[in-house]
Amino acid sequence: MSSESDEATPLRRSGFVVRKERFYGRLIATCAVLTIAVTVGIVLALSGQALSFWSQISPIDFFTGTNWSPVIANDYGVLPLVSGTLLVTVFSALIALPTGLAAAIYLSEYASDQARSILKPALEILAGVPTVIYGYMALVYITPFFKGIFPSLRTFNVLSASIVVGIMIIPMVSSISEDALSAVPDSLRQGGYGLGSTKFDVSTKIVVPSATSGIVASYVLAVSRAIGETMAVTMAMGMSPQMPYFPNVTQNLAESGQTITAAMVQIASADSLGSGPTYEAMFALGMTLFAITLTMNVLAELVRRRFREEY
Amino acid sequence: MSESDTSPKIQTTIETDDDDGRTAPLDARDTVIETWDLDVYYGDEHALDGVSMEIREHDVTALIGPSGCGKSTFLRCINRMNDMIDVCRVEGDVEFDGKNVYDDDVDPVALRRKIGIVFQKPNPFPKSIRDNVAYGLKIQGYDGDIDARVEESLKRAALYEEVKDQLDSSGLDLSGGQQQRLCIARAIAPDPEVILMDEPTSALDPVAASKIEDLIDDLAEEYTVIIVTHNMQQAARISDKTAVFLTGGRLVEYDDTTKIFENPEHDRVEDYITGKFG
Amino acid sequence: MATQETTGDQLGRDAALRLQQLKGRLFEVALVAATLVGIVSLLALFAQIGSDAFQPESASATWFLVYLGTLVAPTAAFTLYARRRPAVRETNALAFAAVFGGLLLSAVTYVVVESLSPYDVFIYAAFAAVPPAVVVAYDRTTDGWAYTGPAIPASILVGIAAAALLYDVVRGPIGIAAGWIMYFGLVTVPAALLIGTLTASRRGRRSGIVVGGLVAGGGLAVAAASIVAGTNASLLVVFFSLFAVPTGYVLWRSVRTDPAGRVGVAGPFVLLGGALLGAAVVSQFGIQNPDTFLTPNLLLQSWDGLRAGNAGVYPQIVGSIVIVGFMAVLAFPVGIGAAVYLEEYAPDTGIRGRLATLLEINISNLAGVPSVVYGLLGLALFRRTLGLGTGVVISAAGTLGLLILPIVIVSTQEALRSVPDALRQGSYGMGASRWQTLREVVLPEAIPGTLTGTILALARAIGETAPLVIIAVATTKYSPPSGLFGSATALPLQIFAAASNAKPEFRHGVVPAAAVVLLILMLLMNATAIVIRNKYARET
Repeated sequence: MSSESDEATPLRRSGFVVRKERFYGRLIATCAVLTIAVTVGIVLALSGQALSFWSQISPIDFFTGTNWSPVIANDYGVLPLVSGTLLVTVFSALIALPTGLAAAIYLSEYASDQARSILKPALEILAGVPTVIYGYMALVYITPFFKGIFPSLRTFNVLSASIVVGIMIIPMVSSISEDALSAVPDSLRQGGYGLGSTKFDVSTKIVVPSATSGIVASYVLAVSRAIGETMAVTMAMGMSPQMPYFPNVTQNLAESGQTITAAMVQIASADSLGSGPTYEAMFALGMTLFAITLTMNVLAELVRRRFREEY
Repeated sequence: MSESDTSPKIQTTIETDDDDGRTAPLDARDTVIETWDLDVYYGDEHALDGVSMEIREHDVTALIGPSGCGKSTFLRCINRMNDMIDVCRVEGDVEFDGKNVYDDDVDPVALRRKIGIVFQKPNPFPKSIRDNVAYGLKIQGYDGDIDARVEESLKRAALYEEVKDQLDSSGLDLSGGQQQRLCIARAIAPDPEVILMDEPTSALDPVAASKIEDLIDDLAEEYTVIIVTHNMQQAARISDKTAVFLTGGRLVEYDDTTKIFENPEHDRVEDYITGKFG
Repeated sequence: MATQETTGDQLGRDAALRLQQLKGRLFEVALVAATLVGIVSLLALFAQIGSDAFQPESASATWFLVYLGTLVAPTAAFTLYARRRPAVRETNALAFAAVFGGLLLSAVTYVVVESLSPYDVFIYAAFAAVPPAVVVAYDRTTDGWAYTGPAIPASILVGIAAAALLYDVVRGPIGIAAGWIMYFGLVTVPAALLIGTLTASRRGRRSGIVVGGLVAGGGLAVAAASIVAGTNASLLVVFFSLFAVPTGYVLWRSVRTDPAGRVGVAGPFVLLGGALLGAAVVSQFGIQNPDTFLTPNLLLQSWDGLRAGNAGVYPQIVGSIVIVGFMAVLAFPVGIGAAVYLEEYAPDTGIRGRLATLLEINISNLAGVPSVVYGLLGLALFRRTLGLGTGVVISAAGTLGLLILPIVIVSTQEALRSVPDALRQGSYGMGASRWQTLREVVLPEAIPGTLTGTILALARAIGETAPLVIIAVATTKYSPPSGLFGSATALPLQIFAAASNAKPEFRHGVVPAAAVVLLILMLLMNATAIVIRNKYARET
């Protein structure tokens, strides 16, 4: 016989061991729960000061005012900042979204393994460069370059800012879209080729439409990232908030402006008191920014979940 | 073993000649595992339907039947590996050495230290051969001579001669058949009472598979072996008793192997054995 | 009758098909162009920065020739030699990792300990090391003591608490000893113990003791020699213990175990030796150096931010290292713990399952929050609620830690997911508990993926600026942070501040130089992460 006595040996471990392991489990679970504390912290931190601000300055004036001049004129109209953010976001999206999708299609459908192994890390580096350096490069290299072509370009302008932000978010679009394209089952492609389609047809008419939700999710996330970008736009676009020019939209590219994020940086670097309406305005801006980016991220996540369930 | 640890002691000597255990009158041998009306549900799916059977010690019991008839589910109830599946619900009794393993005061971890399991696809840890075999001893806090036990287990698994010069090299460097024997050595090192085997040779080539079949006969002298297999010829070759599971997770017939294969009671069993379906 | 088409005609090329093929090729070209446009633009910008930072036009042709001969040619020759010989490449890679890793470790250790005060670090380290040593010794002598596992971290905490309590008492007497003695205790003694233990496990106890003693003796000798020569004893002791000794050991072992690849060991020395030789030749013969700001002075001096001539970013570099290092200590355990919970402990169904899903959604939302908002959180949490000053190291570390927490969690989750479930089943089947399975099987397998994720998180944190601006970290400081509650500074902030100065020696001199320093740091970290990922990539 391979076991000893006939009495039933207890199928238990020592109480200490069991308690010890339960303790470790609880410790680990605490780490996970802390992440909720972070979100709660953000909401509390923002809303505390933001609500105090909006009790002094009417939210209507805040959200519809067209003049942002907190220190000099005590004006807290957020529309110039919103337009600044919007301009950079739209133009950088015009650069990044088609480029990123094209790169994703190439990597997923056309590139050889060797090419992919070089290009994928190379694209990731675009996202890894610190944003201060992007801002610096925009200010010192890109702006003078374009000034040579368009002499009416201001030193701080939307064009340079849009270009660097566009370059910065290409990897977001390309990486997520490429995952979506690769997830399309090969049987669909085989079906297309079997009917005599060219690679171009299969890629553009079969694969891309099947991966639409993933691609849209990548777009939304990239735009959200552009909205939240701070240092590059602060350094390249400057700190002079203004309302956009209509109907000559492209003129805005040559003008400077200020984004929501740049305004927050401006308040932070100037303020040393830690109180007062200007200081609290920073939190109000932060709250607005947080609400916008959170909505977009949740949207992207919903779109992505729908796409995961399709297969 | 420290006083605060209440896990059972581990045998340190090899039992040599144990033929007496196999040829003693059937009634004298104890029941190791007994199930009463075992029902298992995966969500709404009824995987096992009222299974009652008794498994004697030192038997090699084969569980056969078409795919999806609950054989592996039954196996995993014995060592409560089914606990890890959230949607699994178990009703009925499973008794091991007279104790219902689903009682509240039974720790599944302690249970699995007395019951070894070998899986279909060999899964050695990415450690050295020595560390693989010693794993069970290490986690149970074994304080004897680990190297001696490792050597002994490898010998019993018929692997020692092939690897004795490379005990420190990775277990993943071995061939598929050798890896499976390593997993067997790993399972027997802590000296369990029962060894569960879930289609242990289905991922192996015929030569490796036959080496393991020879091994199972030897293993039964020390342990009780329960083996799930798709291969009816294998079941006929190596098992003492055979249990046939058919659709719906029902245990249709359970008897001596010779009886099942030569003269089964149920027509459905006969149809399955002769290959009319499954 | 109309002529029938033959099959050959039908399958052959016709004008419409050729047009389609042309369209397809144009499409492919357009795709390649799009893929490359971002990369090429960035490279062009990097070239600009590099040119401004290094100022190659200002160096004479002789300068280039000298370095061509001493550095480029030997390295190229070595590379060609190593190309055909995989064994040489392997030892070469190991040698590079050992040499540059050792140099980096020594430099960082010296700089960080020096700025935080070697006496303080020594006191805390010594107090923290004694209780666990006692626990381990007790465990070895007693038989199978079950409490060892949790006792070790508990004893470390006890040690730290004791250090905090007894600090004032001990500081005075300890302060009498010279600085290098602190370093001796901090780095040489552990190095001696480590190498001694490694040797003992291979060659027996006596050899281990001898080797350990040699290392310790060597450290003393180095200190003595440098005191006599009047150089920085602390620095040399650190370099001896953390660079010379470990690198020497690793290279010695590699030469012994892999004779075919022996030559590979020389790789890093060819590079370093060539650079040093070139520098010696250049200074000996007075050859024209490039007129660049990227000199060792930049890395070792402090600066007031006013005149470009005496630019130095030493405090900022130290500041960045200290902030990021402390951030890692705060964030990585929590992040890894959270990932382990979500992957290994949390059920898939039921209330707990839904909670786990909620946690995961929450984490992915946190990953998308702009970094400025984290700055606001840091401001509210550290400045207002906890009442710490503006821009101190601990606030910066905490804020950045919260920022990178989602990154660490997600990448660790992926690393854990890549561990095959068969291994877990095998371990549970043997009667291992969940904690044992994690400790013995799952976590060791998940280390490369986790390491990749943490390195990338560090790389991200070093480049972050916006949150630091919001919590009012200073941009210009004369001295490195003086402790965890000292006021902090960081390299990207300096770049931000200096870039606003329109003078050309700033815009095209100092700032590119500092930017290049930051970029090289980032690229090295990213490259390390990629190498680790590729080396341990699992065949799926």
